[in-house]
Amino acid sequence: MSSKEQIFSALRQHTRETYDMPDLAQLKPVTYADPVAEFKNKTTTTAGAKLIEISEGDDLNAVIRDRVVGGWPANPVIATNIIGIDAQLNPDTVATAQELERVDVGVVRGDIGVAENACIWVPQTMKERAICFASEHLVIVIDDNHIVNNMHEAYDLISRSSHYFVDYQFGTFISGPSKTADIEGALVYGAQAARAVTVVFVNRK
Amino acid sequence: MSTQHSKAAEVYLRKPRVAQHHDQTFYGVRQKRDRMAQNLPEWEDLREVANQIKKHTITHLVDYLEQFEQNATKNGVHVHWAKDAQEYNAIVFDILQRHQVKKVVKSKSMLTEECHLNENLERRGIEVVETDLGERILQMMKLAPSHIVMPALHVHREDIGDTFRRLIPNYKEIAEGYKTLNSQLSTLNSDDPTFLTYVARMHLRQQFMEADAGMTGANFGVAETGDVVVCTNEGNADMSTSIPKLHIVSMGIEKLLPNYAAVGVFQRLLARSGTGQETTVYTSHFRGPRPGGEMHIVLVDNGRSSILSNQEHWQTLKCMRCGACMNTCPVYRRSAGYSYTYFIPGPIGINLGMLRDSRQYSDNVSACSLCCSCDNVCPAKVDLSTQIYRWRQQLDSLGKADPMKKYMSAGMAFLFNRPQVYTCALRLSPMVNWLPGPLLQNSLNPWAYAHQMMKFPQKSFHQLWKEKKL
Repeated sequence: MSSKEQIFSALRQHTRETYDMPDLAQLKPVTYADPVAEFKNKTTTTAGAKLIEISEGDDLNAVIRDRVVGGWPANPVIATNIIGIDAQLNPDTVATAQELERVDVGVVRGDIGVAENACIWVPQTMKERAICFASEHLVIVIDDNHIVNNMHEAYDLISRSSHYFVDYQFGTFISGPSKTADIEGALVYGAQAARAVTVVFVNRK
Repeated sequence: MSTQHSKAAEVYLRKPRVAQHHDQTFYGVRQKRDRMAQNLPEWEDLREVANQIKKHTITHLVDYLEQFEQNATKNGVHVHWAKDAQEYNAIVFDILQRHQVKKVVKSKSMLTEECHLNENLERRGIEVVETDLGERILQMMKLAPSHIVMPALHVHREDIGDTFRRLIPNYKEIAEGYKTLNSQLSTLNSDDPTFLTYVARMHLRQQFMEADAGMTGANFGVAETGDVVVCTNEGNADMSTSIPKLHIVSMGIEKLLPNYAAVGVFQRLLARSGTGQETTVYTSHFRGPRPGGEMHIVLVDNGRSSILSNQEHWQTLKCMRCGACMNTCPVYRRSAGYSYTYFIPGPIGINLGMLRDSRQYSDNVSACSLCCSCDNVCPAKVDLSTQIYRWRQQLDSLGKADPMKKYMSAGMAFLFNRPQVYTCALRLSPMVNWLPGPLLQNSLNPWAYAHQMMKFPQKSFHQLWKEKKL
């Protein structure tokens, strides 16, 4: 008997009474009068990210140059595969993920923002997803009509969408910069992944 | 009347400042958790739903495991089955060997601790680098975790600084790099947490670049899609798996959830319960290998399937390893992780240890005041303290009952079965108050140990009641 069969036979033998799956529709999760305001608030407070609001059609290159980088470092290494953004590296065309280690600013798109906890659903839309984690400063661009109240709504959207996990089989919720409190409980931003996150919030016309 | 836990706790408490700091740190986390719970009107409903989802999934595990394997395989993932730790270690070694892996970067996984994977791989010449900051500190210091979520919170910054200076070869170069960014750094030997975290960041980044494989645990497996969900604050699981091309997931078979709707419930409970955050920074869904990469999932039983048959203790399988029961436990907070003899401490560790080997780990069941706080914070409603109580009832049958307590119980049984003797003894008891102090305050009287001997009242409750003075 294979190990799988042994495990299954033990499980079958040891399962006594069985229980039904609860009806999750009965759960009434928190909602907000203004989910967008709550999302922005959580982004800049608990998540520890910066938020820049722009209007649809604004020049993203200028936003990144002036408001994200702000002149430092002088010649930042920018990486993205978003068309129209000037970048030195493209996560689709780099030969290895290791090349993205030197990225100062990585720019990616977020698809769903969650008001209750400032999580942003970032599906993998590039060959090397290391851009989402290895960049010193991660910029996530998200539209104002993509904000939901809570994680249940977010997971529901992802489940029902046919866009995700098609080209690349990965997606992640990101809520602010990488953080740790492993040294005596002191909160420090910039553990292993991005040291800073800027959410570029696009208000559509 | 001492268990190994109480002896170790006594030694620990000889440094009252350390103990007090530990207590306050974890109580702080517990308070953060309370604020999270109070801020969500549906909190108790979430816990109840989580409890029901787990009970359902665990009692339909064969179906969900089958579905999970089918979906993962369809997604291009290699699925392996390990009935015990030995088989698990062999499978992982075999995968690594086939890929000629010399260095593995690894994010935190209690399952790999349980199976002693690191020692096993290192004995066979594969370098294993823990990438969670706390775990890396412990690995460098050759210490075991003291908590399952915040494993190194008991280590002092000075000792961490010393360790980094001794063991990180390019420490000086990293420190100088930091100084050019932050001119206020006065010494390259600083023990400031922000500075030390930077040093660790740069050191670990080098490891990610050099590693040939990344390993993660799994917070949840999703049967309907074949996803593995990993939650971290540091992003180390993501760094470990987005740079090396080989990803190996180690997952206990009880980690499965039916679908995304269920993940929503558990994602919302996990960080709020464990660290008092609304979410972990990263909640990553791994569904398949990277372009040009390989992904393996090793599903491990190692005793889990037999827990299911244990009528009194099967619900420990609902545990999602958030650590909330430790943070709230007054005994854990005051005795710390190393006082326990099982590698997982606190209420859940007491129970998991007993399920692993009830003779070897019975010393931990004394580490509970039966305050039941753990039952009230557990996001999956595991009845932790009730289970500990049950284990205590079984100690005698395991040959582990304390002889003095047995003797006392026999004495009490004698007394309580003879009302006249009892009443007489009660009336005479205040005489004990007249005995000279040293006769009572000595090591032969366990009652007077670590606290003042009580004064017997002149009148018993019974008597006061009869005299209508209550």
